[in-house]
Amino acid sequence: MNARPIIEPREGYDVVVLGAGPAGAAAAIEAASLGLRTAIADEQVVAGGQVYRVAPGIAPVRADQERTDGDRIRAELGAGNIDRCFAHRVWHVERANDRWHIHALGPEGPRTLHAAALIVATGAQERHLPFAGWERPGVMGLAAATVMLKAQRMLPGRNVVVAGAGPLLLVVAKAIVDGGGRVAAIVDAHPRSAWFASAADLLSRPDLAARGMGWYRALHSAGVPMHHGCLLRAVDGDAPALRASVFPVDREGRARADGKAVTIACDAVCCGYGLMPATDVTRLLGASHAFDLTLGGWHVVVDDDQRCNIPRLYAAGDGAGVVGAAAAPWQGRVAAMAAARDLDRIDTATHASRAAPARRERIRAARFGGVMTRIANVGDGAVASLASGVTMCQCERLTRATLDAAIADGCATVNDLKGATRCGMGPCGGRLCEDAAARLIALATGHTRTEIGQATGRPPLRPVDLDALAGDFDYDALPMPATAPL
Amino acid sequence: MNDAVLRIVDGVERGAAIRFRFDGRDIDAYEGESVAAALWASGVRAWPGEGDGGPPSRAVFCAMGICQQCALWIGGVRVEACRTPARDGLDVRTRPRSTEITP
Amino acid sequence: MTTRTQPARASADRYDLVVVGAGIMGATAALRAAQGGMRVAVVERDGAGSGASGVNAGTLSLQIKRVALMPYALIGHEWWRRAGDAVGFKRTGGYTLAFNSREQALLEERMTLKRAAGAPIEFMSSAQVRTREPALSDRIVAASFCAEDGHADSTRTGAYLRGLLRDGNVELREHTPVRAIDHGDAGFRVTVPGGAIDARRILIASGAWTASVAAMLGVTLPIEVRVNTVSVTEPGPQHLHAGIGHATGLLTLKQKASGSFLIGGGWQGRGSPATGRGEVVAETLLQNLRLARFAVPAIAHARVMRSWTGFEAFVADHYPLAGALPGVADAYILTCVRGGYTIGPCIGPLVADLILGRETALPLFEPARVMDSGARGDSASLLASARG
Repeated sequence: MNARPIIEPREGYDVVVLGAGPAGAAAAIEAASLGLRTAIADEQVVAGGQVYRVAPGIAPVRADQERTDGDRIRAELGAGNIDRCFAHRVWHVERANDRWHIHALGPEGPRTLHAAALIVATGAQERHLPFAGWERPGVMGLAAATVMLKAQRMLPGRNVVVAGAGPLLLVVAKAIVDGGGRVAAIVDAHPRSAWFASAADLLSRPDLAARGMGWYRALHSAGVPMHHGCLLRAVDGDAPALRASVFPVDREGRARADGKAVTIACDAVCCGYGLMPATDVTRLLGASHAFDLTLGGWHVVVDDDQRCNIPRLYAAGDGAGVVGAAAAPWQGRVAAMAAARDLDRIDTATHASRAAPARRERIRAARFGGVMTRIANVGDGAVASLASGVTMCQCERLTRATLDAAIADGCATVNDLKGATRCGMGPCGGRLCEDAAARLIALATGHTRTEIGQATGRPPLRPVDLDALAGDFDYDALPMPATAPL
Repeated sequence: MNDAVLRIVDGVERGAAIRFRFDGRDIDAYEGESVAAALWASGVRAWPGEGDGGPPSRAVFCAMGICQQCALWIGGVRVEACRTPARDGLDVRTRPRSTEITP
Repeated sequence: MTTRTQPARASADRYDLVVVGAGIMGATAALRAAQGGMRVAVVERDGAGSGASGVNAGTLSLQIKRVALMPYALIGHEWWRRAGDAVGFKRTGGYTLAFNSREQALLEERMTLKRAAGAPIEFMSSAQVRTREPALSDRIVAASFCAEDGHADSTRTGAYLRGLLRDGNVELREHTPVRAIDHGDAGFRVTVPGGAIDARRILIASGAWTASVAAMLGVTLPIEVRVNTVSVTEPGPQHLHAGIGHATGLLTLKQKASGSFLIGGGWQGRGSPATGRGEVVAETLLQNLRLARFAVPAIAHARVMRSWTGFEAFVADHYPLAGALPGVADAYILTCVRGGYTIGPCIGPLVADLILGRETALPLFEPARVMDSGARGDSASLLASARG
């Protein structure tokens, strides 16, 4: 928490950074070091984002590398001349009168931060692939499992199925075993060979590559059953007596004609299919986005200095494309430097000499993360094989059949589908279902993801308590506009 | 499978032991844990959803304030359990008490 | 059949009428014209019903309609009632509330006139209202009630219209923006990506985009645009059964069967149809929420799930532009209908009747009146002249 109360400078901040993960923290530290009036906002009570997430009060007796790195970031952020708005839920961002207005709800009530430049560093979110029973109690995401294991120091279960694609499979499985739990099975959508497809890029970080190999070997020797080239098809039963059904798939994710289902008894299922950039804020602001599977799908488009196509808006970290935690701080620094240059606080020469090495580091650091992103991709065949009764949109309880019918009826974009079926209109704002729904449209229409689009961004960025927003007010003092015409 | 111990004990330092109530039932937890994680550790996986609409109600699906499935009522205010620190004496409910919502 | 992006056609298609805009206005006009024997095409830059028709708060209330538009509202309302489940129509009844003596006076004056215009409105004491709707504020001083008021799910408009157009043999081309319109002896050539549509007549029913479409024909219309804000809360406990309005017209509030509250009332966001986007303005949103909170205290701990804006076109007298486009033969416009969600299904077909050369059952609203060189006059005289 802050040692001193946050008093916004009368002229507002030069820079506000959204998100206090590795990218955001580095951006704020760099901005402050360049003399910019800086604030950082995050929904969590401490910095760290997801990569270095901690729960205050729960600590390892002996800190591991991640904990050490995270603590260092938290300390640096605290030591810098940066206003830290933690436990602040940003619900809307507006641009008016040449500045950004960041509307947040903090522990003391509503507050709006004003900034000349805005750096969005809100990271990534998990990609989900629906399956029969993914709405059942006892099923959680892989990212959720990492929160439970690393921050809450809690096992998802005593006999867990870990399923999906990408590096989090091994991270979660290893953490469960290290924590004294049992992994009933690892279900990896890809064949073993997929991990080695980009050997050169993997070896750009020999330490991480070795760590991953080590985990794999340790899990293997621990006797953890591994199902490669398989997808989780269904989860049945009532927690803690669950049954996970897995099925072999081809390279496109489609169920193999000759495949046989295997049923695995477990008490919890953790599943996820890679990370996607979290584009909520940049979408809300109408910045340009592009779809690129090698970057995790839809991401905000940035130039070489992390600038978005809206003046004074920058994006850093996985939100600009999922390339991992090592590249994130470099992106953050480059963004802060660009903001400083654009606000005329450093001259062109200073900017050039400072930014060039940072850009180089950024490229180098992204190689390993880029592989992890590519490895996590599962083909659209995974959606093609879904039974018509599978729930696609959990919030609105919509099955595949309902979405298919709307698509057959003419829905060709995510926004069309949203309007026709309410898919994505529930409390999660489409974060669980939009990717899968878009894939359904792609399968039926043959259109590209670019044509299919993203859902239009709307505030609030997360649900917010109406009373907290409204605050205390006097009815008679409400500024009522003109009465409607008679 | 029984509701065996899910908290990782080896090599972990936790805060003070606390207790809160969930629909009148005692839930043991530790300072620093989220309400959602504490419920999960106590064997609570889900509860009936909100009315005719809305997502399923589960203690943990995303664990990071995205899915909204862990939303519960504390003091008449709807909060995400995964973002709410457990505190001693909290009164957590799956439905608001009528007195809390008609001020 | 709904068509997607078209391969270029060798020659232009030939229609009796091309309608620009597949909202309620354009779609109901197109259907009526087709029923009357015309070959009709509708071009729509986005999806059917994706403008005001699909993003409004869904309020189908007679109490909020303008006095002079009440006959149209009654007919339109009936259309929605008959559409029924397909659009999620619910007849919930509705209250209009007053919280001080000024609002009470306004309420009494206005509702008396609206009742005289045909809306079945009765006055109620605050005690009566609170017996029926206990969740309402204890600061109500006066209220009116209309049993016919209700709502529909505006998000269903698009799919519903799409089906009607398909069944009505109207050619609908969605995701088809109009690039240019040329007017020659044979009629109109509407240039769209990949080709053109030829039609003898044209109806511009493009809502907030009407002015820019009319400009393609060299006509400048003094259309302004409101940016209305609507918000929805998460599903929650059911507190409210009827729809709620405010004496000033600045609040609409309803609770859906799912438990979500829908909050509207025309609080202004920011933006322009030229960029296609509207922005929610936090300050006005908060006022809207405060008003809702005041009227229904039980809404306090509902969480706002989503807010959005929709564009609503209007002209200075807040009456429709419905009729011939000034200065261009065989061209018509239909837009700027306040309460258009309710009234659309009445006034769309009336404009179609005009295009078909028939007498209209109710008077239309001469667009020429808003032109610099056109007929001027106050609203009362414009209506009188329309009746001939």
